[in-house]
Amino acid sequence: MGAVSLLAPAALGLLALSVPLVVMYMLRSRRRGVDVTSTLLWEDEKEFVSAALPWQRLRITAAMVLQLLALALFALVLSRPFFRETTLLGPHTVLIVDTSGSMALAARLDAAKTEMRTLVAEASAEQLISIVEAGPRARVLAAFSRDPGQLAGIVAGLVAGGGTEDLEGALRLARGLATPDRPTTVLFLSDGGPAQVLEEPVSDARHLVFDATGDNVAITGLGTNPVGEGPARIFVEVASFSSHTATVDVSLTVDDLEVGMVAMTLPPGERRREVVAVDAGPGQVVEAAVVAAADANPLDDTAAVVLTGTAALGVTVVGEGSPFLDALLLATPGVTVPEGRPPDVVIVDGGSPDVVDRPAWLIRPETPPDGVRLEGVVDNPLITFARTGEPLLEGLDLAQVAIARADIVAAPGWLPILSAGEAPLILLGEIDGHRVVYFTFDLVASNLPVQVSFPILGSRILDWLGGTRLGTAATADAGTPLALTPPQGSSSRVKTPDGSVVEVPAGVIEFTLADQPGVYRVDYVAADGSIAPGSIVTRRFAVGEAAGASRRIAVTEPVAAAGEEATLVREWAPALIALLLLLVLVEWWVAFGRPRLRRRVVTA
Amino acid sequence: MLLDAPMRSRLDRLALNGKRRVRGVWSGRNRSVRLGESLDFADYREYFPGDDFRRIDYNLWARLGVVLVRLFEAEDEMPVSVIVDTSASMGLGDKFPTAQRLAAMVTYLALASGERVRLLTVPALGKPSLTGPWARHVATWPRLEGWLEALTPAGGTDLAAAARLMATPGAHRGPVVLVSDLLTTDWGGALDLLGALGGGAVLHVLDPTELEPELTGDLTLRDVETGRELQVSVSDAALERYRKRLTRFRQDAAARTKRAGMDYVAVRAAPDALDLTLRHLVAGGWVR
Repeated sequence: MGAVSLLAPAALGLLALSVPLVVMYMLRSRRRGVDVTSTLLWEDEKEFVSAALPWQRLRITAAMVLQLLALALFALVLSRPFFRETTLLGPHTVLIVDTSGSMALAARLDAAKTEMRTLVAEASAEQLISIVEAGPRARVLAAFSRDPGQLAGIVAGLVAGGGTEDLEGALRLARGLATPDRPTTVLFLSDGGPAQVLEEPVSDARHLVFDATGDNVAITGLGTNPVGEGPARIFVEVASFSSHTATVDVSLTVDDLEVGMVAMTLPPGERRREVVAVDAGPGQVVEAAVVAAADANPLDDTAAVVLTGTAALGVTVVGEGSPFLDALLLATPGVTVPEGRPPDVVIVDGGSPDVVDRPAWLIRPETPPDGVRLEGVVDNPLITFARTGEPLLEGLDLAQVAIARADIVAAPGWLPILSAGEAPLILLGEIDGHRVVYFTFDLVASNLPVQVSFPILGSRILDWLGGTRLGTAATADAGTPLALTPPQGSSSRVKTPDGSVVEVPAGVIEFTLADQPGVYRVDYVAADGSIAPGSIVTRRFAVGEAAGASRRIAVTEPVAAAGEEATLVREWAPALIALLLLLVLVEWWVAFGRPRLRRRVVTA
Repeated sequence: MLLDAPMRSRLDRLALNGKRRVRGVWSGRNRSVRLGESLDFADYREYFPGDDFRRIDYNLWARLGVVLVRLFEAEDEMPVSVIVDTSASMGLGDKFPTAQRLAAMVTYLALASGERVRLLTVPALGKPSLTGPWARHVATWPRLEGWLEALTPAGGTDLAAAARLMATPGAHRGPVVLVSDLLTTDWGGALDLLGALGGGAVLHVLDPTELEPELTGDLTLRDVETGRELQVSVSDAALERYRKRLTRFRQDAAARTKRAGMDYVAVRAAPDALDLTLRHLVAGGWVR
């Protein structure tokens, strides 16, 4: 709170009235004559006063003090005292609150909500507040509101999702809320670091950082190989973001029935991966959950996938071959060696592929295919690059892979997904419209076949080459809308991970309230009330959010009013008026309320 | 009517009780300071020629050989004087009506007891004379009541002069009942003189407005008797001091009255003052 100033200091001139007020108390009052039976008993009270003097000695009485105080307060009220209070709020403030998954860590969103409540409470009646939720899909929750009740209700309803915040979208919405006639301040409430805005008409932007942290263990990967015959192999990756070694149990359930428990010990910052065979088939939901005593972010402790089936894939190995490839083909469900029919996928291990007339996995062929030029050989290449977001490599730990020798190839138009410096190690491309995976190193000249990741990588490659990307239904980060395909005239009914059921009207083909990670079950309700089961879709916790920080916001300098302290002028008038009224009441009580001071007519 | 029939009937059953021997002119029912003809034995004395033979105690003469005559107590009437203060200060509130009824009560009580009663008023300042009717029989009550009812409080009075006149040698001596507010400067000496006449009682009448004055602010107090004006500022503290002085005044009056051999009754001017005063007099033994 700043120093107190006066909006109308001239009103303090009313204090001059205190002089005549005091003078009135010094004037001798006209004495009332009272007949008494005798003055004998009043002799000691005799006052030696002179009738010629209109003055008397000033006596401080309660009434005089109260009247002086009332006069002073009255003058003070009219002078309109105020103080400037530094505030984050402007005439119009857009609160952009981050509800990404990282805000669930260590109750960051709760702290942000507390701050928002404080801001809402301190807003004056003239200050407008808008609220924009920066979740996976930016949303305007309140626009130009000065209703504290409505704003408090909106703040209370904020929930952290499992997705990544759409800050750019939120900023666009904030700019859309800015009006030229009213300076607009933007406040970011997130864990993503400093940010400022941007363009007019936003005059100022501030960032309130909520970066509390805590020990967190997250499921960063959950997948499976294509399910055919035999048990499904579930791939689980758990990462520790704790400062100390964490020992956790990961429970696996299939359609809510617990089928396994994996114990993991995770040093600080490390990841652990496990492959667990479970008896599950297509259409079933596999869920993994970290069982930890204390965890700062409960949202990333669970993950779910829906198993899908795959058609039988005929695979033929051409060239030298290796026991590892044979074992891979044997272990991969749905993969067969075709007899009497052409293979669906061909694996060329060494040798020279004459014609690539079908999907092929080329493992260091002697002659590169068309479009690939051999430029040299590198010994002991060290993996330096793995393409981010590549589904084939998702969740795989290839850091321990050692390669004795690899070709250096130039492959314009091919996509390297794993490289050692300038030398690509695994490339994806197409030849004559057929998918091709190109390994520039020999499997037997590396330790890749003995890595835990190899069966997963191999099955994914075969799956990709065979036309099916993964053995799990397509999943996406939380916040990604669900595609609805209701039959003509049917509405949709979506059961969300928290168990609530949302009815979606007919004709709507997108369900956007998918911010929570977990399993969404879609049913379609026909006009006659019959229910047709729809799809089961999962949304995963965005892996990048588990580390505990949102993306940094691109920062530009504010255009106007940069660096100015926002101040709020608050007048004291209401409090002073209340005090004045109280004083008047006290004076009334002193003058008339106290029995001993009550004035009575004396009857002589 | 100062005394209604029930009160008179009640007083008829009571009698004044003189605490001292009286010196009356006429015989009555009170022990006199002299010897007389009653049946109460008083003493013996030697026979002198001319004494009534019937008073010679022959038994003593036979046993002792000495001729003694028996002496008996005398019983006289008790001359009661009732002095009513008619100063202007008595005109406040219910003081004077109360004083009239108190005087009437004592008067009727004396008449009903067969005593001689004289009603007096305190003489006005500068007029040292006592006037008032004498009466002895209860049949004279209507006349005395009329005299009392005709009294009006006015002007200043001289209580000391009244006491001096009462103590004049040769005047009738007997108990004096003074009904007054004693709001005069020389009340102490007056009580001493009156008490020496034969005891009696002081009925000190004060009005509630004197006991608990409801005054506040800057006032000019005017004495209704003397016309003297006093400038005072009445505050809570001043009222408290007044109450203390009033209490001390009443305590002094009670002590001075007792020292003079009289009974003191503080009377609050009110309709029930008669009952309360009568109870005090009975409790003090002045009425039985």
